[in-house]
Amino acid sequence: MRLELNTLMIRDIHFADKTIVTDRVLRINREELQKLLLEDPRFRRIDVELAHPGEKCRILQVVDVIEPRAKTSPGDEDFPGVVGGQVPVGRGSTCVLGGTAVVLSDYRERREVGKSTDPSGDIIDMWGPGAYAGIFGKTHNIVLLPTPSDGVNTHAYMAALKIAGLKTASYLARAGKGITPDATEVFELPPLTEIKDGFERLPRVVYIFQILTLQFDPIPGEPVLYGRNVPDMVPALIHPNEVFDGALTSPMPTLHVQTYQIQNHPIIKELYKRHGKDLCFAGVIVTTAPNNMTEIERIANMAASLAKYTVGADGAVLTKIGGGAPELTLAKTAQLCERLGIKTAIATLHMAADISDPKYGATTIFSMPEVDAIVSMGVPFMRLTLPPVERIIGRAGVSAEGAPVNGEMVRATNYIKGTHCQIGGSRLKAIRY
Amino acid sequence: MIRVVHYVNQFFGGIGGEDKADLPPRLVEGPVGPGKAVQAALGERGEVVATVICGDNYFAENIERASGEVRELVLPYKPDLFVAGPAFNAGRYGIACGATCKMAQNELGIIPAITGMYEENPGVDLYRRDVYIIQTTDRAKGMADAVSKMMNFAGKLLGKQSIGRPADEGYFPRGQLVNELVDLTGAERVIDMLLSKLRKEPFESEVERPVYDRVKPASPIKDIRSATIALVTDGGLVPKGNPDRIEMTTATRFGRYDIKNVDTLDPADYEVSHGGYDSTLVRQDPNRLVPVDAMRDLERKGAIGKLHDKFYSTTGLSSIVDIMKKVGQRIAESLKAEGVSGVILTST
Repeated sequence: MRLELNTLMIRDIHFADKTIVTDRVLRINREELQKLLLEDPRFRRIDVELAHPGEKCRILQVVDVIEPRAKTSPGDEDFPGVVGGQVPVGRGSTCVLGGTAVVLSDYRERREVGKSTDPSGDIIDMWGPGAYAGIFGKTHNIVLLPTPSDGVNTHAYMAALKIAGLKTASYLARAGKGITPDATEVFELPPLTEIKDGFERLPRVVYIFQILTLQFDPIPGEPVLYGRNVPDMVPALIHPNEVFDGALTSPMPTLHVQTYQIQNHPIIKELYKRHGKDLCFAGVIVTTAPNNMTEIERIANMAASLAKYTVGADGAVLTKIGGGAPELTLAKTAQLCERLGIKTAIATLHMAADISDPKYGATTIFSMPEVDAIVSMGVPFMRLTLPPVERIIGRAGVSAEGAPVNGEMVRATNYIKGTHCQIGGSRLKAIRY
Repeated sequence: MIRVVHYVNQFFGGIGGEDKADLPPRLVEGPVGPGKAVQAALGERGEVVATVICGDNYFAENIERASGEVRELVLPYKPDLFVAGPAFNAGRYGIACGATCKMAQNELGIIPAITGMYEENPGVDLYRRDVYIIQTTDRAKGMADAVSKMMNFAGKLLGKQSIGRPADEGYFPRGQLVNELVDLTGAERVIDMLLSKLRKEPFESEVERPVYDRVKPASPIKDIRSATIALVTDGGLVPKGNPDRIEMTTATRFGRYDIKNVDTLDPADYEVSHGGYDSTLVRQDPNRLVPVDAMRDLERKGAIGKLHDKFYSTTGLSSIVDIMKKVGQRIAESLKAEGVSGVILTST
């Protein structure tokens, strides 16, 4: 399968009469976009705002971020099962509006938040240390702020929000069609049966990719894999190009992995880079993180068996999505791979970090001798002081204790979207001093 | 001129061996024994103005008192730097070195302090959170090298230079976990690590395997029909208003809530302080997290003696093991004192 990602580097975005890309500037017809999104009866109203790098601006209640992309090869469709019909993706060519991002903000009024929760929710700061720490303070952001229609419940609203984001990503990137790209990346990987030219002598490496955690109730109707939510999914082989090309989104609440990062999957890109040199990239197994031990063992067994007996993998890279149960599933899967003779390396954030004690400082919640190659991607609980901003995009939740959302605030990096990346995108590493 | 006070035990102080281990601290002006190596490392920049010598038993058996006595002896000499040992693998000496360095840092005008020990010295585990301890060999024949490393490092402390990573600088990690930007992304590093492993080359995991306590299960309940059973949850169920202010994440507190004569938990009375799962169903019916209704059934049928009058609740989310251990101990002690013989723990 061969995929060409053609990137236009966008240097600015504006509202205008027509949605068009000229001279690397994206102009957006706001009314046309709003009209398109209001076709969904779950919304009563949709505000759209723009945020630029360097602007003293803070975006509140961010639930996901999506990179504008549209298929440009004939017969293909964008985000199949959501925007387009059920056609395969990962082949042909795709237009990418680099330097831009569609940001989804939960814009419900009087949104219920816990007593001790910050009313600003997960944020993106467009300037200062927050922008420096995260990746989404560096993109030109198109922020969607939908108001639900009466009677639309949380799940229906969240699913609609995700769908609106994908529609917007496709709508905007279609404006880039036919323009000479600034960069073209080609991703081509043959079927396992056609590996030749000495590649068959390189170690076969598979990537085992958790795409969904069941520690949160799956949102019915949220498109996760080819337009469907997939809580009952069993481990499955998919082509890495499908991951880049709109088959997958990050399930809400998108803990440390936004759809944008999946579209630019750092580990898959790196495996491609080394394919034919250091290793033979043997594919991607997508899997889930269940919420009980029996299911965790079932899923881990199936994933490890697929890696061993179908892919014939010599090595596996594994990552997780979400928090504790996913970490156990990750470790269990790696352990089973090792027992089947597949060497493993995993990369994790320290979500159970004890930052004060070197000896019992549990930086993982598992302790398995076979799982001996672990890359640290940092602790998500380090605090940053964020300076005040002049402009707020989004609606603060209702909380008794929260400070003003435009003032200086101290937030754990946990809550600054795009700071951490469960799939290997950041250069953060936790080090013991 | 940097004024240095040096601490040594009775052996390195040239007074005697085990027979002199009960000697109280005494002060000698100028360098003694390994203090000469300290002086050599200082050269023209400084001077070992005094040496405190103390017996190992005396110190280890009266840590607080001995530290205080050392402080009184040292104070008049107004040191800029406190050096202790190195203690190599001598346990009592290691404890004295750690304790005197900690005292010097905290009580002698906040001056830098440095010591050195072998990794198995018990002083390492006791004091590495508080003071910089340079890693040494286990035997005193490594003295010259150890003193030279200690004094180099002390120079950085005195010059207020930034201190590098433990492995690079040669000190034992003090326990702080810090996020740093490194040259390679997680993606690059995890693939590098896998390739090293596949090639059977050495590789270094970036995360140590944690050591967890083994917990011996309690003996079975002899007569369940007369037993008092309590409900304990880490799912964050709290009375409306969260009176104990149990944190939604990284909790440090727990609550103990009355359910005497309560047949079923009323959703109007409870809320959830937990950010790690979708608590909608629990807020609709708290019994599904803390199954009071089912326990009352069992109570009526005589399957258990009695449901305990209180349930306990905390929040298990990104919790710090040390803190949760204490929370667990306090809950267990309280349950024991209240005569509970069995517990049902419900997690989320």
